[in-house]
Amino acid sequence: MPASVVAPGFVQEPRFAETAQAAVFGIGNVLMGDDGFGPYVARVLEASCSFPPSVTVADLGTPGPDLLTYLDGLDLAVLVDTVNAMGRPGDVRVYTRDDLLRHPPGTRVGPHDSHLKEALLHSAFSGGGPDEVLLVGAIPHRVRTGPGLSPAVRSAVPLAAHLVIQALADRGWPVAFRRHAPPADIWWEPQRPARPLPRTA
Amino acid sequence: MSRIVIDPITRIEGHLRIDVEVDGGAVRDAWASGQMFRGIETILTGRDPRDAWLFTQRFCGVCTTVHAIASVRAVENAIGLTPPLNAQYIRNLLLIAHALHDHIVHFYHLSALDWVDVVAALKADAGKASTLAESLSPWPHNGRLDLQAVQDKLKSFVDQGQLGIFANGYWGHPAMKLAPEVNLLAVAHYLQALEFQRKANQVVAILGSKTPNIQNLAVGGVANAINLDNQATLNMEKLYKVKDLLDEVVGFVQQVYVPDVCAIGAMYPDWFGYGAGVTNYLAVPDLPLDAAGTQFDLPGGTIFGGDLASAKPITSFADPYFRENVTENISHAWYDGEWTKHPFEGETVPKYTKYEAGGKYSWVKAPRFQGKPMQVGPLAQVLVGYATGHEPTRRWATVALEKASAIAGRRLGPEILHSTLGRHAARAIRTAILAELAQKHWKLLVDNIAKGDTTIWNEPVFPKGEQRGFGFHEAPRGTLSHWVVIRDGRIANYQAVVPTTWNASPRDEKSTKGPYEASLVGNPVADAARPLEVLRTVHSFDPCLACAIHTVDVDGREVARVRAL
Repeated sequence: MPASVVAPGFVQEPRFAETAQAAVFGIGNVLMGDDGFGPYVARVLEASCSFPPSVTVADLGTPGPDLLTYLDGLDLAVLVDTVNAMGRPGDVRVYTRDDLLRHPPGTRVGPHDSHLKEALLHSAFSGGGPDEVLLVGAIPHRVRTGPGLSPAVRSAVPLAAHLVIQALADRGWPVAFRRHAPPADIWWEPQRPARPLPRTA
Repeated sequence: MSRIVIDPITRIEGHLRIDVEVDGGAVRDAWASGQMFRGIETILTGRDPRDAWLFTQRFCGVCTTVHAIASVRAVENAIGLTPPLNAQYIRNLLLIAHALHDHIVHFYHLSALDWVDVVAALKADAGKASTLAESLSPWPHNGRLDLQAVQDKLKSFVDQGQLGIFANGYWGHPAMKLAPEVNLLAVAHYLQALEFQRKANQVVAILGSKTPNIQNLAVGGVANAINLDNQATLNMEKLYKVKDLLDEVVGFVQQVYVPDVCAIGAMYPDWFGYGAGVTNYLAVPDLPLDAAGTQFDLPGGTIFGGDLASAKPITSFADPYFRENVTENISHAWYDGEWTKHPFEGETVPKYTKYEAGGKYSWVKAPRFQGKPMQVGPLAQVLVGYATGHEPTRRWATVALEKASAIAGRRLGPEILHSTLGRHAARAIRTAILAELAQKHWKLLVDNIAKGDTTIWNEPVFPKGEQRGFGFHEAPRGTLSHWVVIRDGRIANYQAVVPTTWNASPRDEKSTKGPYEASLVGNPVADAARPLEVLRTVHSFDPCLACAIHTVDVDGREVARVRAL
């Protein structure tokens, strides 16, 4: 873990736990069709698997520049998101930090950019980690107003989840499947089971 | 006459295009255009009003908490439901912590590069920088060794060619004027700001159960069960953790953020003369002190034509002065029709035509108050507070102006606030006030619990027939309002009028410019290919066009561009 640049005597929260820390973050806007892929995968993983205490799994939505806050102090960050790449909808690709930083962010800070590149560069400068970054990305079919994944992207969920589990296992974080897993809380999907209507007078 | 197009301009979510006409080295005319269809409100039609906040907090990944709060307030207003006092205090603490986090990030991580030349910090003398810093603030982390460590780190980054982090900054631009020592201090505080914005965010996480999308809200209150002896609920241990974190953030705001803004402002005195634009201001009251929302710690009101004597207060969550006077016009926005409507009657029917500077050119509607464009945000908040005699606003404004005057060597009075740098100064002043109030509202909550009150929620009941309600929140970027029409327990219409809609508004039916547009007219532009001055003014509003999507672009396609036509 790189030493923090903030000088001696500076009061800091103890950031680095004794055991190595990993996180899986689903990123994307759940109200925009296939852009909800990352949050969907994160919630499926949360519901289906049990992770070691040193692994955090979270649906971060679209954190923008706040992504940096969540990367701080990690050894491994696995991000799940949609990617703009050549291929068919539902194709799943894995990228490393070097892949992501191949092009500088200055000319590429677009509306679809999760500030991922900026966050990675900021964290390198501040010395807060993570040491390793993986992006598991799916090529979207439709990104437009309205919740719900397209069939092609929905069918990519198990593969992406498997790649995340494998990446964690390969680096010493074993993941177990729960025997009696609750359904994932995909509350934004249209087919969510309805709860009782509110009381009306 | 030349035309410059900057597209996109934000360093935050969304997609904003700015067109300016430049003649004789200054901006003569300007257009602000939202380039992405919003309309996420349409998703809410037909849903359970108790769930609306879950969806609205996904409008924007940066402004999650604020959309959640405005939504529950709107539904509560519609059905006449008052949440318990504990719920108001817990919500207030969440809002304050979110705002502290947001303002620190805005200044240090999203806009400082408009003023700070990172590379020039390498030329600084760390000893001199430390002496300067210690003359401005008692902050204990401005020592020579602290600053030397930062400079060494920066040097190793530059030597390795790793300046990608600052690649969207305009270092070496002729409009950069800070001394190397001030640039070094700013880089050091940028790094420290990372720590403190994280602490503020931890408060949101503790009270909200999660960030960035909080889990603890409910129509009628909050879901933070209070039991001081139970590990699983809000207990004294968690409350003291919140207090410790807030106290640390307060120190950073008062001893670092406020002095930094004063110092940078004093060294760019010209920028107190540019960027005023629309001087009608709107802010709503916030941080309720009673359950019903009739008394507040932060004042609201309107100011017209920059005349502080014209200030008229907005006094409650139900104030008709606000409810009756907001409209939206679509004469220059890509929606079907030409209408002006109240948000309860509002429609979101997209009809995209090409970009026409004289016709329709934006996805942003033009909100108006009594038919006039309004500037919202920290400047409006501070001016309304100043005009209505709000004691903390007057006190912190005086602190900031006196400090800036001392550095500049001339008197800088409140009139300088109507400007590009005035918006940064006002944001620092507002943050200092919020920091103080964080401690106050923590105490209010703890005292109320100590009285034995642990109520957190009142059950909502939805009458048959139709109810209309509005909920507002004075968010970091300004006045946010949600407007809901409920029919037989289901949402029939939902409209959100967000701060950036007020500020990034296009022209209206009378061709009156919105605040961004008006603020750019008269700005200098030294180099049309690198229009740093335009970015300075637009960034000073802290633009955030919500509802962006977040596909990561991996194929190297160039998205951001500046075109000088």
